[in-house]
Amino acid sequence: MKTIWFHLMPYPDLPDDFTSEHRSVWVDIDPNLFDPVVGHRMYNEYIDELEFAAAVGFDGVGINEHHSNAYGLMPSPNLIAASLARSCPDAALVVLGDSVALYNPPIRVAEEFAMLDCISGGRLVAGFPVGTPMDTLYAYGNNPATLRERYHEGVELILRAWTADEVFSFNGKYSKLRYVNCWPRPVQSPHPPVWIPGGGSIDTWEWCARTGYSYLYLSYFGYKAALNTMRGFWDRVESAGRPRNPYQAGFAQFFGVADSEKEAIELYREPAEYFFNRCLHVYPGFADPPGYKTLATVRQGAEGMVERAAREAAERAAAATRKAERKKAMQSFSAASHMTFEQMVEKGYVIVGSPDQVAERTVEMARQLNIGHVMSLCHFGNMSRDLAMHNTELMASKVLPQISHLWDDEWEDHWWPKPLAERVAPHRP
Amino acid sequence: MTMRGERPGSELEVVVTGSGPRVGYLHGFVCEPTGQPFLSALAGHGLEVVAPSLPGFGGTPPADDIRGIHDWVWHLSDIIDRSGLAGRPVVASSVGAMLALELASLRPEAFSSLVLIGPLGLWDDDDPVTDPFSTTLGNQRALLTSDPSVTAPFFDDPTDLAPERAVERTVRRYTARTAAASLVWPLPEFGLAQRIGRVRVPVTLVWGADDRIVSPRYADRFARHLDVRDSIVVEGAGHLAEWDSPSVVAELAARALWKGSVDD
Repeated sequence: MKTIWFHLMPYPDLPDDFTSEHRSVWVDIDPNLFDPVVGHRMYNEYIDELEFAAAVGFDGVGINEHHSNAYGLMPSPNLIAASLARSCPDAALVVLGDSVALYNPPIRVAEEFAMLDCISGGRLVAGFPVGTPMDTLYAYGNNPATLRERYHEGVELILRAWTADEVFSFNGKYSKLRYVNCWPRPVQSPHPPVWIPGGGSIDTWEWCARTGYSYLYLSYFGYKAALNTMRGFWDRVESAGRPRNPYQAGFAQFFGVADSEKEAIELYREPAEYFFNRCLHVYPGFADPPGYKTLATVRQGAEGMVERAAREAAERAAAATRKAERKKAMQSFSAASHMTFEQMVEKGYVIVGSPDQVAERTVEMARQLNIGHVMSLCHFGNMSRDLAMHNTELMASKVLPQISHLWDDEWEDHWWPKPLAERVAPHRP
Repeated sequence: MTMRGERPGSELEVVVTGSGPRVGYLHGFVCEPTGQPFLSALAGHGLEVVAPSLPGFGGTPPADDIRGIHDWVWHLSDIIDRSGLAGRPVVASSVGAMLALELASLRPEAFSSLVLIGPLGLWDDDDPVTDPFSTTLGNQRALLTSDPSVTAPFFDDPTDLAPERAVERTVRRYTARTAAASLVWPLPEFGLAQRIGRVRVPVTLVWGADDRIVSPRYADRFARHLDVRDSIVVEGAGHLAEWDSPSVVAELAARALWKGSVDD
């Protein structure tokens, strides 16, 4: 099994009263909350953490794209990936990805990913997410009625640009290019492995099952809540006549490792509560705009990851308001809309414990979901760099050796980068 | 009735109510023609009311060839021909009014006169049009009318609805909301200001006094470009004034149409 050290890059200094005084962490979050000095420190520390993870033995480093928010400060994952391509000489670069529909024309994604694959000597995983509604529709103004069609057309253009033997014209509905000629071209042949991150849309995992792309379920609600989605995915994979190769799927999971479970609970309580209560504080009005879901998903009544977070927060808030009656309604709204760390652990949102406990639960998770790629979140919320590195070091030295052998004798990972055998090392003067 | 088109997926739902001189009705964000009191109220003035549903709304399937506002306008052009509304007076609401103005700027003979209820299409940075889709469904419903219960035929399901029928109603509602959102995304300004001066037909403006989507202050902005014969504010009504006050708006519309250019 492969473990990728995945960073969301959240803004770490949201005020304590954020959820009561601000309606959303995304889209219309107050720009005055961002302190560029904190930003300077944050980006440098976060890159340190990614580099450290690669150095201590994680199989890959992972990043993704979000806009107008304090949940994940990577409007341009390719900028971070370019830095990591040089400073992490052996790890896979898992970029999850570029939100294809936001690039006009999407050939830009083909070019920048090809640059990353060349710089890294063929270590890129090309992630193509549709993107959240907050990013794609509200922050970037895409039309919900055409977003997915635009996305699929963009992915088609990128793959053709990487693989065509000659210059061609692309007469798409949304992109019209007289000359498509991608320079540079990726190192990996025919192209870097394609992973499709999704938040629960049925059409996304059906598409992966049909095409053979690797499906990555980015849920923050623990593997038990993911069982139905992944079961549906694997059923579709089988229906498509493909093997249930676990490497065709991945899952995102929060981890908190310490010498004991008691210590882990003490160490990771605050950053987990910061993440789940502040970073997922999304105004419900941004979570489910009409047109973002496909009709198949609407028919199934399936709920996206962010939509679920917004709904649960609203339900907790509503319950709190009822309890608070008239007096101090707003204060109680904020306090009781929070989820406790114990609830997060109980529901499996965060796997915490000693290395053995974490390893045991991770193997159980991987077997239950049948996944070969774990997007491990060892930094979350407002975790300090020191704690993130402590967590990462324990995970690498004591957990990974217990879990990495999983699937070794059974399956081959066809979705992992195939780098050049001899790569140029960075020259350090 | 549903009109069959030559191409698959080109079905068009058209509801016809009453008899007499023919007038058209182009719906706004909400389309539920069989359950809309305004249509029968308008027909009660001795009119045949022809109400087509735009692509994605009501019983008309979404059109997969729509990329932007101009595709919408060409669809509307076909729709008024197919439903017998070309050259007729038309009452148009909200996004329907925006499309009617777009078509009238391109095809001067499309309508003989227009009654526009809370039209969209112009934009004032100092008085922006409200985005009805950056809020929860419940809030969105509350934004559309003064009394949210009046749009129950669209938003609510009967309590005894069979589960499979409820799913179909949910899908139909979602499809209509998607079409509506696509008409105003990211904001409802697609260059109408450059074209609106080409509209030659007489216009009556009707605004709900409590319109929380497009302020009644926009009436002056529209009037600067159009041959406005009358501009009326309906007290107690919201953005979809014909849902809040069907009888009042029907009477205003009928009077405007008769005063205007109804030629039957």
